[in-house]
Parts: sequence; structure tokens; C-alpha cells
Amino acid sequence: MSCDATLSRRQFAGTLSGAAAAPFFAPSFSTAAPRGSAKRKRVALITTIVRKFSHGQHFVDRLLEGYGWHGEHHTSPLELVSLYVEQFPETDTSRERSRRHGVRLCPTIAEALTLGTSRLAVDGVLIIGEHGDYPRDAKGQPLYPRFRFFKDVVKTFERTNQSVPVFQDKHFAMDWREAQETYRDAQRLGFPLMAGSSLPVTWRIPAIEIPLGTPLVESVGVGYGHHGYYDIHTIETAQCMSERRAGGEVGVQSVQAFKNEAVWRLLGERESTRKLCLAALNRSQTLKAAPGYTFVEPSVEHLKRVSPFAVAYVFEHLDGFRTTIFHFNGTGTAFSRDTAALNDFTYAGLTQRGDVLSTLMFLPMPPTMSTLANFFSPLVNHIERMVLTGQPSWPIERNYLTTGMTLFAVDSLFADGAKLETPDLRIRYQPTPGPHFWTG
Amino acid sequence: MKPLRQIAFVLEDFALQTPAQQLLDRFLLGYRRAGGFHKVEGVEIACSRAQLEGEGRVWEAETHELHWRLAYGGLKFIGPVSYALRDAEAFVVVPKNDTTAPSEAFLTAALTHAQRGAACFVFGALASNLAAARTFSTLAAARQVTLASGTTLPVTWRLPQMDLPSQARVAEALIVVQGASPLAELHALDGLLPVLERRAGGERGVRQVKFLSGRELWRAGDRREWSWPLLAAALSRSDSPQGDAILDGRTQDLVGLGLVPKLATNPRGWLLEHTDGVRTALLVLDGVVADFNFAVRLADGSNLSAQLFRAPVPGQEHYSRLAAAMEDFFRTGTPPWPVSRSLLTAGLLDVCRQTAAQPGVWLRTPELTQR
Repeated sequence: MSCDATLSRRQFAGTLSGAAAAPFFAPSFSTAAPRGSAKRKRVALITTIVRKFSHGQHFVDRLLEGYGWHGEHHTSPLELVSLYVEQFPETDTSRERSRRHGVRLCPTIAEALTLGTSRLAVDGVLIIGEHGDYPRDAKGQPLYPRFRFFKDVVKTFERTNQSVPVFQDKHFAMDWREAQETYRDAQRLGFPLMAGSSLPVTWRIPAIEIPLGTPLVESVGVGYGHHGYYDIHTIETAQCMSERRAGGEVGVQSVQAFKNEAVWRLLGERESTRKLCLAALNRSQTLKAAPGYTFVEPSVEHLKRVSPFAVAYVFEHLDGFRTTIFHFNGTGTAFSRDTAALNDFTYAGLTQRGDVLSTLMFLPMPPTMSTLANFFSPLVNHIERMVLTGQPSWPIERNYLTTGMTLFAVDSLFADGAKLETPDLRIRYQPTPGPHFWTG
Repeated sequence: MKPLRQIAFVLEDFALQTPAQQLLDRFLLGYRRAGGFHKVEGVEIACSRAQLEGEGRVWEAETHELHWRLAYGGLKFIGPVSYALRDAEAFVVVPKNDTTAPSEAFLTAALTHAQRGAACFVFGALASNLAAARTFSTLAAARQVTLASGTTLPVTWRLPQMDLPSQARVAEALIVVQGASPLAELHALDGLLPVLERRAGGERGVRQVKFLSGRELWRAGDRREWSWPLLAAALSRSDSPQGDAILDGRTQDLVGLGLVPKLATNPRGWLLEHTDGVRTALLVLDGVVADFNFAVRLADGSNLSAQLFRAPVPGQEHYSRLAAAMEDFFRTGTPPWPVSRSLLTAGLLDVCRQTAAQPGVWLRTPELTQR
């Protein structure tokens, strides 16, 4: 943003909803169209719940209130015109936002998309199916209604014979057949679909990107979290890097889960995986230390002490590439953020030459490290870009693959670590150049 | 490279999550560096824990904690300053937690007992005034001790990762910090001066300083004595806006909505006019955000801004960045930054204190101009 030193506070405040400003660093959408401008594209947001720190709140507020971006408070070039919210707890903030910003709160998804007309009345749709009071399936995965929301959107597209870009938060669904149908619907109707976690787009410390075509042979992602909730974050942490290897992504042929003792055996047997796991942990800023200290040198022996509860997923790709995901969930028998051995997501990749590339995908997580969850800001910015241009920032095949990796990994975990062949995950794609992470 | 066999830590306190612990343990255990866990090989670590006046029990407890490191943590020995420094080619002086500089008597003793040719890193400010800083600098020079001082802020990660382009022409800069004086001023100076000294012509000192607080601070912004747009740029980098974000997580344009004066408790700031005409504002805005952010306006009208990242507790990995700078200093004998920055910081800390007693009055500072 070009900044005029002669502006007073009052004058400056007035400019915030005023003229457009050029992007400052890397390509991204800075304030492009002022609030109230006829040029703003309109979007509907479909979500399970909007309350403090729910995913719905993070997306809704960035669209309505703006967000810090590239050295300014960025006003979204998208106008949130309608909301479909399924649950309204006492802590709901959607009604207040709806009143204050004049956003239509709709009883159905169809109405949110058509605004009560017979035609599609929005230029984009966000589906945020995360958080809220929903049952879990037999494997403990939350049954968030992402697929049901998506199908309602698709039905409206079909009924109006129109379609617009759609963003789906995290992975497509909790069931592989539903995920397949999601992908096929988007292909069949030909609308841009983008999905995924914020991990690929948040800050990286250090701020590295793997050059396209790098001869990577193995990736490791290290994180934490309950299966079915956080697996996608660590899997996408690794996949957004792995896909940049020479030849691009060719798909996954098998998945196998490991738990507790089996994780330590895996680390003992696979030298390169152990090396990468420890390299990733050397980027962690939260690995639990020994008593009397504030930090620690990562080692398998230390991990055994601070995280007897550990889970790993090994993915064999069709070109011989291997991805391993580790979750070091600490000393409990069930996941709890408080007892996890770490609270961040890190990556390490091995090249054919034996070089190791590693970084932290940094999430300034509220409430301990921030009052916001600003890792949603780059995700919202990518959504803005997709709605304005019709081009998703990365191929949907990444998210199709990571959805499958997540679901089959949990299947393997609940089949006592059986190795599962995954012919459905022969998903090939080439990455877009990027970088897509937050750099400016 | 200089031979480095022993490093002494001269501490005014020791407890978990203090700078003393974060730094000493990194030299004892190793630290994260360049993607690996780097160990300070081949170097013995000695320690001296000064007993300050009236802290008998605290001293005993902390010494006990250090003795545990002596028994199990690789610490070679604990002893009086003279003994700890006897064979040390490098030493680290860490003042009491939450203070800006070591006590003068303490640092004088350390410099007096230091080996000739040693390297000395003082955590924080070298001193809390220019005269004392010059005395230490002279004493160090007489003993051929190379001095450097600073906090983690000059070396921590910036979000985004950026630096002022070398020789950039700067018009104006601003930093937002929080906390009690004078630590807040030290953080503001140590956060901003390292950024600004890369500008065309380098840092040539400060010719006058003015303190403002409360409404006068906002009025000065309205009079364009400091820049609201730069404040907006700095705050856009914050991860911790206060106000309604606390209530319900909303993202808010704190400047555009006029919320900064409403949220700030005891707002205060110092306006600095540098010798080359660059204007700097150090704003201490408790209650507005809870992280350190700066913005710089270049002569071409463009802005640079970033958050000075402070990594989560208890690890506070930004101390690893400082440990790396210190180790490089000790091994090469080349300080990570010029001692002139330390002198300017010490002088400005004193000027900040003096001007706070005379709000709204420019205090000319010819002693802080550099040639």
C-alpha cells in the first residue's frame, strides 16, 4: 500500500473503504473493490456453526470485517450476502453479524444461493463444515455434514442450470464414496472447486518453498491431533511439498497406520524416516521438554518418554515416493491438546542427493498465541482470488488425494494397522507454481 | 576463527524462562540451528551467579538450580566472577530478568576480570545511559575486550521474512510495543534500530526526542507528528488485537474504526528525529495489541511492515537465533552488530527517561549524533 504521510487519523480512516491499492509483495489480492461497490462479487457461506473461534466465525469475519494483509487492513473484494447456519448455540455470533452487516440469514442452502429467486444470485460459495454438535462415526470421526451441504449446493446449481466457484473447508467428507461423488460432481458440472487446510498457506518458518521438479524421494509431516480431525492438516502439510517433486504427483498405492509401540518400531527400522522425523522436530517450537528445561533436542528416546501415545501413517506413492505422517499425542490415551507432546506442524523432505529440506508451518493459534487465527487470512485470500478469477490456486486433485489419504489412513488405524491397497488413490496431477503460502 | 575453549555466563538471576536460563541452556544442551540441533562442541561452560543485595534465599534457590546443571547438565563449574572469567575466551552477562541492563558494578567487575582479547555479549542494553555505556566501552577497549549487546529482537524471525533493502531511503518509521518502562523502550529501540540502520547513509544518530502520552499522543498523530497510516500498517501485522477480538474473535480494523485510543491504557510514545531527518515513533500501546510490530515508509512512498516474532513459551525459540549470533561472535571475534548501536540504545534509554518527565518538549540530544 502506498501510504501518504500527510493523512491525519480522520482522513486516513476515510480512505480505508476508498480507493484501490496495489498488492505490495507476492501476488495476492489486496483491497480490490471497495465495500458497497457494485463491482464486488457476491458470495454465500454455508456452515455448521458460527461462534468464537469456530471455522465458520473465522471465514465470516474475514469477509465482513476484513483482515490484516500485506501491511494493511484488507477489505474483502467479496460481499458476503447470505449465510446458512445449521446450529445456533447461545454463543452464536452469526445473528449479530447478520444484523450488523445486513447479511441475509437463510433457512435453506438453496435460499442462500438464490436469495429467494429462481436463479443463482451469488458468484461463489464457501462450505465450512467444521465444529458444531455432530455425532461421530464408529471410527471416531466427526460426522460434519460437508457432503450434505455440498450436495444441496450442487442441487441448486443443477436446478438453476448455473454454477459458480466453490470452496470446501478441509477434506471433502468423512466417507470415501461421498468424497468421490464430490469430485465427480465438480467435474461433471465444470465449476471451480478448491478445498483444504490452512497449513499449506500459512507462514513458514523458515519461509521456504520447494522448487518445482526437485528430486524428492521422501516426505515426513509431524503434528498432533485426534484422528479424523487433524490428520488432514498434517497430510496436507506434507502433500503441498511432496507434489512439487520431479514428475509431480502420481497417486498413492497403499496406506498403513501404526500406533504406539509400532511407531517406535517403524522409527527404529527406517533410517531415512527417522532422520526426517527428527529434522522436522528440529523446526518445532513446542516439543515438550524434560522437567527443569524449556526445550529439548529431539530424539526417539525423548519421544517415547513424552509421547507414548503416538500414531503414524505411511503412504506408498506409485512412483516409489513415500510419505510418513506422525502424530505425537503425548501421555494420554485419548487426544487432548493439553497433554500432546507438541502443538505445531512441521515438515521435512529428503532429496535424492540426501539433502533435507525442513520447515515449520506456523499457526498462531488462539487463545494461547493470539487472539485471532490469522492462518485463515491467506486461505480467505485464495478464495477471493478464485471467485474473482475463476481459477483455484491449486489443483483440486490435491484435496481429492488428501481426502482419500485421510480416510484410508483412519480405516487402517481401525483395522489394527492393516496395510490397505488404495487403487482409488491413483490420482495424478501437476502442482501450480506458487508459492501459495503467506509471504508478504 | 579464534580458539574457543571456555565461555563464562555471568548471571544476575537464574530461573526457568528467564533470558539467563534460555541462553545458558542453549550453550549447555545445544540449540535449533539451520534445521538441525547444533551443539556447542569442545567448549566448557562456566557460570557465576552474583548475589545481589537482599536476595539471600532467592540466591540460594537459584544457585541450587544451577548446581543441578553442574551435576547433570554439563556445566563445568560455578564460582565467583573472577574465577569464572579466568580462562574464558568469551563471556555472557545477563541482567536480572525484566531489567534493561546489568548493574554497573556487576558489569564493571566482569570487564575487569575478563581475559584480554575476550568477547563479551551483554543481554539487553549495555547500560541505561550513555555515560555508563561509554565507560564500559572504554574499559573493554583497554582490556581489548570486544563488546556487543542486545536482546532477541534484532535476530528473531520477522513475519513476513523481510529486511529493509540495503541503502534504502527511509522517510519515517514506527514500532508498537507493550509493557512497563524502561523495558518497553528497550524493546522498541532494539526492534527498530536494527531495521533502520540499513538505510542509505546508515544510522547517524538522533538529534532530538519528545515524549507524549494520553490524548497528546493521539493529537500528535493528527498533527502528523507521527503517522496513523504507519500505525495501521504495523497493526495489520498483529496476531493479538485486543478489544472485540477478545470478546468474539472478530477481526477488526483497529485504526480505521478509531479503536486505538479507546483500547489503549496509559498510551505513551517517543518521537525521535534522526540526524538525517528520518522520523521515528516508539509507541507503547498496552491494551491495543500484545505483540511487537513495526512499519517503515520509504522515500518512494511504499511501506514495509512486519511482526517481530516471539516464539511460544516455554521454548521461546527466538533465543536460539540469538545463541547462534552469540556463538558466531565468540568463534570469530566479530561482533554481530556495531557497538555504536549499543551506545545509541543506552543513550536513548536515558533520554526516554528524561523526556518522560517533560511531556511535549523536544529535548535536543547532540551527544547522540554520530559522525
